[in-house]
Amino acid sequence: MSARITATPAIEAVVRQHAEQQYARELEELVAIDTRQRPPNWNLSPWAVQTYLLGGTLASGFAISAKYVGSERLMQIAIASLATDRALLLYGVPGTAKSWVSEHLAAAIAGDSTLMIQGTAGTDESAIRYGWNYARLLTEGPSPDALVVSPMMRAMQTGRLCRIEELTRISAEVQDTLITILSEKTLPVPELNTEVQARKGFNVIATANNRDKGVNELSSALMRRFNTVILPVPATIEEEVRIVDTRSASLGRALELPAEKPAIEEIRRVVTIFRELRDGVTLDGKTKLKSPSGTLSPAEAISVINNGMTMAAYYGDGTLRADDMAAGLSGAIVKDPIQDGVVWKEYLQTVVRERSGWKDLYRACTALL
Amino acid sequence: MPDRGLTVFGIRHHGPGCARSLRAALERLEPDIVLVEGPPDAQEAIPLLADPEMRPPVALLIYPPERPQDAVYYPFTVFSPEWQALGYAIGRGIPARFIDLPQAIVLAERTRDQPSTMQGATPSDSEGAGIRPAGAGVGSELDPAVSLDTSSEGGAASEDAAPGTLEHPIGAAEPTGDDLLRQDPLEALALAAGYQDRELWWEHQVEQRQDAAGLFEAIMEAMAELRGCAPEPDVEEARREAYMRQAIRTARSEGFGRIAVICGAWHAPALADPGPAKSDLALLKGLPRIPVQATWIPWTNSRLSSRSGYGAGIASPGWYEHLWTVPDRTAIRWITQVARMLREQDLDASPAGVIEAVRTADTLAALRELPMPGIAELNEAVLSVLCHGNAAPMTLIRERLEIGERLGGVPEETPAVPLQRDLNAWQKRLRLPPSAEIKGLDLDLRKDTDRARSALLHRLALLSIPWGTQQRATGRATGTFHELWQIRWQPEFAVGLIEANIWGNTVDAAATAATRHHAQGAKELPALTEWLDRAILAELPGAIDYTLGCIGAVAAIAADVRHLMEALPPLARVARYGDVRGTQAARVVPVIDGLFERALVALPGACGSLDEDAAASMVSAIDATQESIGLLDRADQRQEWQGVLRLLTGRESIHGLVRGRACRLLLELRAIDEEELGRLARLALSPATPSAQAAAWMEGVLRGSGMLLLYQDAIWLALNRWLCDLDADGFVAVLPLLRRAFSGFQAPERRSMGEKARTLGYGDTPRAAGTVPDGPQLDRERAALVLPVLGRILGEKHR
Repeated sequence: MSARITATPAIEAVVRQHAEQQYARELEELVAIDTRQRPPNWNLSPWAVQTYLLGGTLASGFAISAKYVGSERLMQIAIASLATDRALLLYGVPGTAKSWVSEHLAAAIAGDSTLMIQGTAGTDESAIRYGWNYARLLTEGPSPDALVVSPMMRAMQTGRLCRIEELTRISAEVQDTLITILSEKTLPVPELNTEVQARKGFNVIATANNRDKGVNELSSALMRRFNTVILPVPATIEEEVRIVDTRSASLGRALELPAEKPAIEEIRRVVTIFRELRDGVTLDGKTKLKSPSGTLSPAEAISVINNGMTMAAYYGDGTLRADDMAAGLSGAIVKDPIQDGVVWKEYLQTVVRERSGWKDLYRACTALL
Repeated sequence: MPDRGLTVFGIRHHGPGCARSLRAALERLEPDIVLVEGPPDAQEAIPLLADPEMRPPVALLIYPPERPQDAVYYPFTVFSPEWQALGYAIGRGIPARFIDLPQAIVLAERTRDQPSTMQGATPSDSEGAGIRPAGAGVGSELDPAVSLDTSSEGGAASEDAAPGTLEHPIGAAEPTGDDLLRQDPLEALALAAGYQDRELWWEHQVEQRQDAAGLFEAIMEAMAELRGCAPEPDVEEARREAYMRQAIRTARSEGFGRIAVICGAWHAPALADPGPAKSDLALLKGLPRIPVQATWIPWTNSRLSSRSGYGAGIASPGWYEHLWTVPDRTAIRWITQVARMLREQDLDASPAGVIEAVRTADTLAALRELPMPGIAELNEAVLSVLCHGNAAPMTLIRERLEIGERLGGVPEETPAVPLQRDLNAWQKRLRLPPSAEIKGLDLDLRKDTDRARSALLHRLALLSIPWGTQQRATGRATGTFHELWQIRWQPEFAVGLIEANIWGNTVDAAATAATRHHAQGAKELPALTEWLDRAILAELPGAIDYTLGCIGAVAAIAADVRHLMEALPPLARVARYGDVRGTQAARVVPVIDGLFERALVALPGACGSLDEDAAASMVSAIDATQESIGLLDRADQRQEWQGVLRLLTGRESIHGLVRGRACRLLLELRAIDEEELGRLARLALSPATPSAQAAAWMEGVLRGSGMLLLYQDAIWLALNRWLCDLDADGFVAVLPLLRRAFSGFQAPERRSMGEKARTLGYGDTPRAAGTVPDGPQLDRERAALVLPVLGRILGEKHR
């Protein structure tokens, strides 16, 4: 890892703190009361990790905030996988808190969420295994000092968790470097005729996206080495409306939009449309629908609302209306002009048109078709 | 136990842990008689249980012969404690008796309460499928079916329930308020123990318990405690317990010294010490009885599971059976079984994966502080390790292993089933005795008896009992009112009836349930419309409604627009004519609207890049839609349909056949006039168009009624011009297509068309012969020949 160029700024001054910094107090309190059995090199017992993720009140009266709102059972499977030293793959559509969960798991279990490899199409083997400091390599020849240690290697040396973000963005050849690491728990360095054997406590949490286009599917050899947990989209419409509402309000503030905070009804409409199309059935469960090819995640709902607010602020009267949202909605839903176009049209004709109080939205959307 | 010589075992029905503990306890106790909480009406059926042909799951069926729809089921599986107790008794050669309040009394009570209840109208009660059908015992049964009942009955989950067969009027109230404790004592205990799910609580506390010592004493104690806080039992429960106590006293007076009683946990404290008989005798005095029959019928695992909505409330019979049959290492064996099943389905499941899944399940169980992984932990581990988070194989695991679909079997000498009786009654009423001879039937549907006969035959066909085969009407015109059948009764139908009895106790109810089941399984519209047709023929309103619902749901996700369109005419016919059998049109119209809207949206896209065959089938789908629009005759539909057809005529990328057909249909709808058609024809047949496409367009236009075509001069002129413009090679190339386009017409039609074409070249004359009455072309001599005939037709005397 390259040396930090500037001195670490004071914690308060950074834009975003690491989980273990932001929730340092909670972690301390948990460590204090945690008397249960811990897997080797874990900072907390599995039970305490569960409490950290899902929130709760400790015997001391200290309240732990909930990091993940959703199924308790899913978090249990994730923790249990890591406890059996199986690598964990968090899978799901964008905007389902995969990276968030992975960061907090690493913070709670290893006390360190910074050993992270960001997967991109350009990620090469040296980012996962090790690289060389070529100046030293040329002057000194191969030596441990000339080696540039990757986060993965560091995690193995120290017995911590290594996170891989967006595993499916990494090309398939590079992905497969993980196979040895996951099955043999070792990282050979043939140039030095040595190897790094993982210490107890080492494990890998990867996140991957199963809906985005242009991803590199995991080979089944790699898939077999992961326990897969699929993080679902929010279970209830109320939950989803709340998430979209808080997020879009805070984004609106950050962008200093002059528009009014969007009416909750508009948010509810967008979330309803997204949920119905995503689930392929209307909320009342009476009508089945086709689903479009896009993901329609809460993250996209947030961007539709934001888009609408911008339109309303600069081109409308400052209040979010159906006309301001129509373009954003169609854009989010119709990713494939032919297939999705049919789906969207069908939805407008069979559902939106019939719904009372949705006439404005129907008109605004059909005008764009 | 307080009483010498009497041991009461409080159990939960269908609990493998209970069954195992009970079996062990019986081996230890060595009783000289076993008394089981069950219907004494079925006492005579007990010995059949030892028959080698008896394969659980099976159910005891108690029914009044007059009203088979009131039947009551008592399902048994191999891991039912009752089954084990009875098996033990038979094996040891000691007497086994059912000691519950007889159904003869319970059903008499019900019949009196609801004298007017006809089949299908009785309130539902899952308990009927539970081991204790009598209403008041609901809470006492420790039977989870109880709570599943109200939510799922009539809902989507219970579609294969046979309406009118399993329902039992029930004296007990809804499980709310003060009744909660009695209704569901386990719930109270589970809540007290901090569990959300009492199923889970029971599983952890009882079924997974490795050491059964003291189990029954503990259950007895817990129940005694609970009963202490519960309100007084209602009349029916009091009677049942009184009857059971009486049975115990009888056994004792007969000199049995070690009596074992197996009953629902709730009743255990009430039976532990029978005490004096006086008050019990008073309770049971003078209760009316009605005659009932008892028999065994085959049952299925899915019917045991709560999925059916009225099942015995075991969520995972396959898993319980696994727990019952394997001696040790249940988790490992289970996941191995899962892996093998996945491999059979060509899914990847390595032994290494099995090891990891077992470890994950164990860790999960530890995290949840359980002694061993249950089905939930195993499923989650399999999902995350073997299935890589993909939920689709889990459904398979659920069906194949967790429920473990299986049909039981009963010995041949089992008494007749109610369905057989119901059929006998129908055969008598309709004067249609079963006979092994082949016999022809000509049914006139305008007559009530014949219509009922036809419905009966159709219903039996739905139950896979092909007593009659329908014949195509040949020879003399029979009209739509007639149905021709050939009937022949075959002995194996009797077996079919026993199997079909699982759907219901009357032909009507069973056929409805079977059709609903099939409709639920059908994923394609053509199959569904066929089921709809059959349900309409069999006059099953319940099945028709349900199938329509399925059609609506499947249509929404149907990818093939042709299926949507082809499903329209049968539905439109139902809506238009209501049919002879009085199906409700109102129910059909929303389904038609949904299909129609979807077809309209998808049609233009689906017409692009079709080959010959696909275009031909698309045209027949378009014709089907046109037919349904004609049947329904609604202005709004016609309007929208015309819009889409216009769109089709104008798109160059669409196959000529489809475009031509669209033109023709627009013409029939009078949406375009001759002039417009002429313009379109010239466009489509212009030299710039490839001749194959032009010929296809022509074929599209010409299909259908030739007579109508004769009067469309614009088409003929456009056609003529196009043909004349072709060069010699081009003409030869289109000739086969041209010939094919006309080949569908009758010979006389073709002849008049030829004549029409012959006169086309001579200016404005073609229509003269038909339309100008007194022109110089009239051949008076020949016309005169016609006049006498014409006069006769018009009823005028020829001068």
